[in-house]
Amino acid sequence: MNRLPSFFRWLVFAALADWLIGRTLTRSAIFMPKSPPVISVYQALGFAGQVAATLTGLLTLSALGWIAWREWRTRNASVLPPALIGLIAFNFVSLFIALSGWLAVSRHLLTLAVVGTLAGRIGLGADSVSRKIALLLPALAVLSGTLYQTSAAVYQALQYAAPPSFAGALFDAGELLVVLSPIGLWWAHRPGDRGRWWLYAAAALPAIAFSALHVANPAMSGILSIWSIGLTLYLPWPLYAVSLWLAGVTVIASLRRNDPMGRAILLLAAGGYVPQLSTHVFLGLIGLWLLALPKAQPAVIFSSDVGRSPNSSFAIGDSASTT
Amino acid sequence: MITRSRLLFVLVLGLAVALTFLKVPLASSQGVTLVATQVTGDLPVADPDSTLWGKSSAIFVPLSAQAVAKPMQLDAKVKSVTARALYNGSQLAILVEWADDTQDDAMVRIQDFRDAVAVQFPLAEGQPFFCMGQQGSNVNIWHWKADWQADIAARRDMETLYPNMYVDQYPFADPSAGLAAGPATYIDSNYLPALASDNLFAVAEHLSPVEDVIAGGFGSLTAQPAEAQNVQGYGVWADGKWRVTFSRDLTSQEAEDAQFAAGKVYSIAFAAWDGANGERNGQKSTSQWVSLQFGGPAPKPAAGPAFPAPRAEAGPLAFVPAVVITLLILGLCGAALVVFERSQRK
Repeated sequence: MNRLPSFFRWLVFAALADWLIGRTLTRSAIFMPKSPPVISVYQALGFAGQVAATLTGLLTLSALGWIAWREWRTRNASVLPPALIGLIAFNFVSLFIALSGWLAVSRHLLTLAVVGTLAGRIGLGADSVSRKIALLLPALAVLSGTLYQTSAAVYQALQYAAPPSFAGALFDAGELLVVLSPIGLWWAHRPGDRGRWWLYAAAALPAIAFSALHVANPAMSGILSIWSIGLTLYLPWPLYAVSLWLAGVTVIASLRRNDPMGRAILLLAAGGYVPQLSTHVFLGLIGLWLLALPKAQPAVIFSSDVGRSPNSSFAIGDSASTT
Repeated sequence: MITRSRLLFVLVLGLAVALTFLKVPLASSQGVTLVATQVTGDLPVADPDSTLWGKSSAIFVPLSAQAVAKPMQLDAKVKSVTARALYNGSQLAILVEWADDTQDDAMVRIQDFRDAVAVQFPLAEGQPFFCMGQQGSNVNIWHWKADWQADIAARRDMETLYPNMYVDQYPFADPSAGLAAGPATYIDSNYLPALASDNLFAVAEHLSPVEDVIAGGFGSLTAQPAEAQNVQGYGVWADGKWRVTFSRDLTSQEAEDAQFAAGKVYSIAFAAWDGANGERNGQKSTSQWVSLQFGGPAPKPAAGPAFPAPRAEAGPLAFVPAVVITLLILGLCGAALVVFERSQRK
């Protein structure tokens, strides 16, 4: 029986803490003035967010290394292992040397190779057209964001004076794909039992709160959308609200049936769109890898979920191999 | 019960706490980076059309309406800027360009608002909130204002726009000025308190169109003293496009100024205002942080178009190109899948 190491589970919690505490809650501190006790609370939250960010960094590197090893052992994959190891190496090198020129391009190309491979695997692996499209949406969103970053790096390496003329449209297309992704994933993987109205009601709570906040006081919604997620909100606002709602439905339903899709969505959300930091890029890649697991996604279990999954006999990766 | 897994988690958490205390980073910048190119000689600080700018690759920076603090204007017009940067042994220069159908460089009448652009640098480690920083984490903002620049060339006042206006008297003006009496002829400047207190907004002649300010959150914008205003700038509007330069010494004596050094990576953010759309103060378009990296010299002459047409202002159908590209991407992927699957069947 194959299991994902328990640090994948920790990674989801750490990434959520990094996102929701380190990049969201503490940033609500921008509204001044505050009393000294409140400032102390925010400082404590800020430290907790920094620890979560560091923990996320450690766990993403561990997870990438494990995925590379796993891909090499079980699939004899030729692209993912070297690309992932290369990304880890670039991450450490760039802590000491600011990458520019073709070195920066190489790093983006490695990211593209990983995203492209996973997108291809997702497209070819899903068992129906609707699932193919649904799973490809987040992959294409990540691909658009990566292409946007790569094109800028390529133009700089080529010493082109002008930025890529298609950059704006590419960026916007990626944002549209980000917003459409939860809708598509919900459509293809929506809970079959229509009686589970509570699922929709529970998932609607954050979306309703988010929308109400946007109408009454857009501060938090603005921070969440622009700063934490990287979206520029150029599309009609209700689309973002619906997307958030259906993302919640899909995440809750997936977590209930132990489908890694829920964790994948959470990691992709925590990574954000067109992320600036390598850790957040890696979160997106790990999220995509979880989405690209063989079709019986519910089969994958996390080591700490042993005994809870009714499908725990399925394997991840190549079903013909076991560890 | 302490399992091996839990023990491992505690160890990893402890390591994370230790790394946080020691400020050991694990993440590096992997986003879009504005690379400042090193050049020799003087920088084209007052010449946005200089071919020297072609040595630096521009980056496209998407902007969005400031939607965090009221008052806000969610239909802000400036949707993106392009930016490029140069530096020599002593100075940094940044060129920012954006599309704007109208040149709004007068703020004399109450219904007038100016075009403007700003760049922002954090003064502490990390990235504070991209709109004006936050408490305990100030930002240094260079704010170029179209009206300030126009006033340097020729100061305008109500008399400029309404040449036939008449004022009975300015009671504190020099009587010998006669009909030409005005604030500039006041004998005692204490009757012009803003001017007397060196308020930058009241000075008759600006030395620079760029205001050098500090902020630590909304409502905290503070101009640096007049003697500490050390950022220069120059803007040109032509063919529906603003091109504005900023320049300053790499290092500054002022404690509240951003400091730069070759080979380092900093953060930079942008904001822009379209005066014709009534944008002012917090009603603006802002970017997130992007990296500003001080790179090496340009290895060869620049290729490709030097100054492309700017991205058009967003209208009600602004998302149409994105929708088209999205459909194109989906269509191509779908076609590739169909072709692949058919080949598999054969």
